[in-house]
Amino acid sequence: MEELRKLAKELLEKKEIAAVIGYRQISAMRTKPIIAKTAEDCEQLVFNEYCLNNLAVYLTKARIKELKRVNGSVLKLAVTAKPCDIHSVIALMQESQMKREDVYIIGFNCHGVVKDFDIAFRGETLAQKCIPCETHKPLYFDSILGEVKETPAAPDKVIEKIKEIEVMTAEQRFKYFKSEFDKCIKCFACRAACPLCYCQRCITDKTIPRWIESSPHSRGNYSWNIVRAFHLSGRCIGCGECERACPMDIPLSLLNRKMAIEAKEAYSYVSGRSLETPTLVGSYDVKDSDELFM
Amino acid sequence: MSENFEPKIVAFVCNWCTYTGADLAGTSRLKYPTNVKLIRVMCSGGIDPVFILKAFERGADGILVSGCHPNDCHYNAGNFHARRRWEFFDELLKFTGVEKERLQFSWVSASEGKKFVDVVTKVTNDIRALGPFKSYKLINEEFTAQFPETPVNENEVILSGENA
Amino acid sequence: MKIGVFICHCGENIGRTVDCPRVAKACAWFPGVAVSIDYKYMCSDPGQNMIKDEIRKHKLDAIVVGSCSPHMHEKTFRKAAVSAGINPFLVEIANLREHCSWVHDDIDAATDKAIELTKMAVEKVKHNQPLTTIEVPVTKRTLVIGGGIAGIQAALDVANAGYEVVLVEKEPSIGGHMSQLSETFPTLDCSQCILTPRMVEVYQHPKIKLLSYSEVEKVEGFIGNFTVTIRKKARHIDETLCTGCGLCVTKCPVKKKAYNSFEENLAYRPAVYVPFPQAVPNIPVIDETVCTYYKTGKCQMCVKVCGREAIRFEQQDTMVTEDVGAIIVATGYKLYSIDRKPEDSMLKGYGEYGYGKYKDVIDGLQFERIASASGPTEGEMKRPSDGKVPKKVVFIQCVGSRDESKGFSYCSKICCMYTAKHAMLYKHKVHDGEAYVFYMDIRSGGKMYEEFVRRAIEEDGVKYVRGRVSKIYEENGKYIVKGEDTIAGMPVVIDADMVVLATAMIAQPEASDLAQTIGIPYDKYGFYNEAHPKLRPVESTTGGVFLAGACQSPKDIPESVAMASAAAAKALVLFGSDKLEREPVIAKVNEALCAGCFYCRKVCPYSAVEVRDIVTRDGVVLKQVAYVNEGLCQGCGTCTATCPSKSIELAGFNNEEIFAQIAAL
Repeated sequence: MEELRKLAKELLEKKEIAAVIGYRQISAMRTKPIIAKTAEDCEQLVFNEYCLNNLAVYLTKARIKELKRVNGSVLKLAVTAKPCDIHSVIALMQESQMKREDVYIIGFNCHGVVKDFDIAFRGETLAQKCIPCETHKPLYFDSILGEVKETPAAPDKVIEKIKEIEVMTAEQRFKYFKSEFDKCIKCFACRAACPLCYCQRCITDKTIPRWIESSPHSRGNYSWNIVRAFHLSGRCIGCGECERACPMDIPLSLLNRKMAIEAKEAYSYVSGRSLETPTLVGSYDVKDSDELFM
Repeated sequence: MSENFEPKIVAFVCNWCTYTGADLAGTSRLKYPTNVKLIRVMCSGGIDPVFILKAFERGADGILVSGCHPNDCHYNAGNFHARRRWEFFDELLKFTGVEKERLQFSWVSASEGKKFVDVVTKVTNDIRALGPFKSYKLINEEFTAQFPETPVNENEVILSGENA
Repeated sequence: MKIGVFICHCGENIGRTVDCPRVAKACAWFPGVAVSIDYKYMCSDPGQNMIKDEIRKHKLDAIVVGSCSPHMHEKTFRKAAVSAGINPFLVEIANLREHCSWVHDDIDAATDKAIELTKMAVEKVKHNQPLTTIEVPVTKRTLVIGGGIAGIQAALDVANAGYEVVLVEKEPSIGGHMSQLSETFPTLDCSQCILTPRMVEVYQHPKIKLLSYSEVEKVEGFIGNFTVTIRKKARHIDETLCTGCGLCVTKCPVKKKAYNSFEENLAYRPAVYVPFPQAVPNIPVIDETVCTYYKTGKCQMCVKVCGREAIRFEQQDTMVTEDVGAIIVATGYKLYSIDRKPEDSMLKGYGEYGYGKYKDVIDGLQFERIASASGPTEGEMKRPSDGKVPKKVVFIQCVGSRDESKGFSYCSKICCMYTAKHAMLYKHKVHDGEAYVFYMDIRSGGKMYEEFVRRAIEEDGVKYVRGRVSKIYEENGKYIVKGEDTIAGMPVVIDADMVVLATAMIAQPEASDLAQTIGIPYDKYGFYNEAHPKLRPVESTTGGVFLAGACQSPKDIPESVAMASAAAAKALVLFGSDKLEREPVIAKVNEALCAGCFYCRKVCPYSAVEVRDIVTRDGVVLKQVAYVNEGLCQGCGTCTATCPSKSIELAGFNNEEIFAQIAAL
């Protein structure tokens, strides 16, 4: 913790960065994001198993980007990030939302976070997204902190559920997803929490013509969730914030994880891992499979 | 399946290949079922999955998406991008419970009039065997029950007025 | 908005299967439709006048025509709308013929479908925006690909009209297959004699830039504005110094390693060679694969004898970039090779004819070389195996043509004529020889063609046998040809000294690769597709690219020449004005909504999407957005489907229009 605060204060002092987007401790098992602009703010910075938020979501917000402009010059923003959050940052860079030199990544070696606040961190309470995680060390960073520790073992419930769904009949599957999507109240918390949902005018807010209805009913709920999963396919890095934010506990990770598996199997592509790899959407291979086509 | 069920099929086709292939089917006087209506776009790369969802909402029982063969796209690469896009969307729809025959894809070139006929006939027969798209009709009905719409067939409205 | 609906009967074509009056009546009830009428022939003058009158009478804002395919008459109706004061893009066509009346039998079902299709068009047109055509400048230069008779003719026509031509030919010399022929039907003119003056004219023409021994590698751009990258293959000779004296060719010691493809592999050529004496340009090529220097570094005989020191062993291929406004494709054909080792998997081969196995079973071009005065036998009728004069020659037509099982379903058009010609040439050279022709039909439909075939039969005594040949095998130095005479109804066996097969005329093996490079469609045989088989036989569907000669379909020399001149005329039409009007179906970005993810830029096949900074007055960059270059955008719409937030739309096919069509179902 001391290292982190010292580093943050140093960077601010040297005027290398305009602010640090980090976490502060609210209570014993709960953190909240903080934008630290002064040395005083930096004293509150923490990093532990309760740092659940994906801070990359702030990097595309206009008000946050404005902070970069300090006294006529443009400085970087620093962000304390778990390896999975860094995947989001890289994915954003792959989509021209920012350049590598615009962000100072304070990366942390991570052994997992808890699945929700106010629950003690143990094997069974490990967040679902941490279970299949393969990057405990950040892939990109400007500074790296934190010890390397073992991640507790736990069964991958999402994969199990996906496999369960895959053997259902089409009717059963539709029934299952309809019952889940019917819960949706169209609060769009999933959209707000997702770092990759940065569209200035989401397609569901487009009224002329109305492709996706934004009021809560089964038809609009089905198309909203399908289209969001589709727009994220090949891009979602599996931070799980959407599911955590959803007040109705809709299992969004099923859809996003299924698409990520598809991307890996069909195109050997995993999002947000490398700045040199071209994005999956927007590229093609002449030899892609034609299986679907008559 | 009800005996007199005639499926409603929408085909999104690219202007240069499949639409022209369908024209060729016409000039060759080949016959196929009347169930399919074509919506023309310039390139198969320009067909957004959102159209598919809207078409299902509007009562389509089955959808065909068709374009030029890979390497032959009039715009060089539109169908390559389409290919990847549909791979994901098709998986997603299947995963969430849409029968795989309801959304079908083909590459039909401008000289393949016969193939167009075969494709359309196959899709129509597949959907006829599957029956109406009950799942979507269900969520549609729940929607209209909550939010009663003006009738889709405005003819009725006009005729039931002074002109009845 | 007031919409006019016009349903065409198209005579009986639509009217027989679709109840047009009922369609018109139904459409009258659609909201927004002010007038809805049907008529027998909408595209005719009275039909178009009716449309114009109705527009003026009811002050219509947009029209929908239920007729044949938009590919046929969209332009016609757009013109009619313009002359009555409506923007041409407020015209929509409902395809009631090719997609409805011609493909369905049930009158009720077809009529219902026609009503639905028209309804979709009505709903779409309500959202159409008036668009104006875009003007782009035209580069008044032409690229002709292929230096055969068609390419030569097209190049000369365009050049003589005063515009520059770049003629690209992949072989070391222009002339194509016509330069291999000995005499041409029906006049029996010496082929080279009528061709070489043209070849020289091309070479000396001030407006023609000849790039021989070169191939087209990349084509970018669009009609009026193509940028073509051409690979000039290395001849290993400095063209500016070489005088064409031919000493290197004579003195080259590598005499028997490479076959001369011009002589259809009936003769050898040295490592440094000119394909034939009348080659244009008359500059040799060094074949690296057989030249001793490239293997051992020794020899260099050519260097020793070259008076101009023009040999350049280290010469590399060079890339040339040319800006042109029109492209004429005249890449010609190839003969179907049918020996036991077919070159590619499509060809199944007629192994039973022994081509490739027996030296004296030859194809048409090989016969031309034997008959040619400048060929390997100096015009004497000698058979390839032992040089003896064949006394009985059998000609077999339709080898590979009109054969769906082992060859191609189409007719190669020229074989009946050239077989008659071959038989006549043979009889003229070997007076006591016997010539037999096995045929299925005789197709001699050109001017003086039928008379030509009769001459072969009546004056030169060629014996025509109607039937096919089942097998050819060798016995005691003779080739036993087993066939059938279907008119007499009995088998025929001939002990021939030589057999000539009229093999199918097929597309060049690289034809599909070239088509993909240029961006033009081709059919399953590799022949290039014309824009319309009846009325637009010389244009491809890609704007600015025209077709000439056998690359489009099998044809003979006068047809190739006619087509070449027609293609040249089409190019000249393009050059008739300084600016070209382009369809305004292009994409446009809503900069307020664009989030700058640039997926549109990644998917655009024409690199038409650029990055634009949105800047405050103080010069601070707020965000970067996408921007479509109007000149480059071709209107495919891939960007619009890729944009997750629909911040980019395609004019003419924008979101609202497509939504309306779907909603109208």
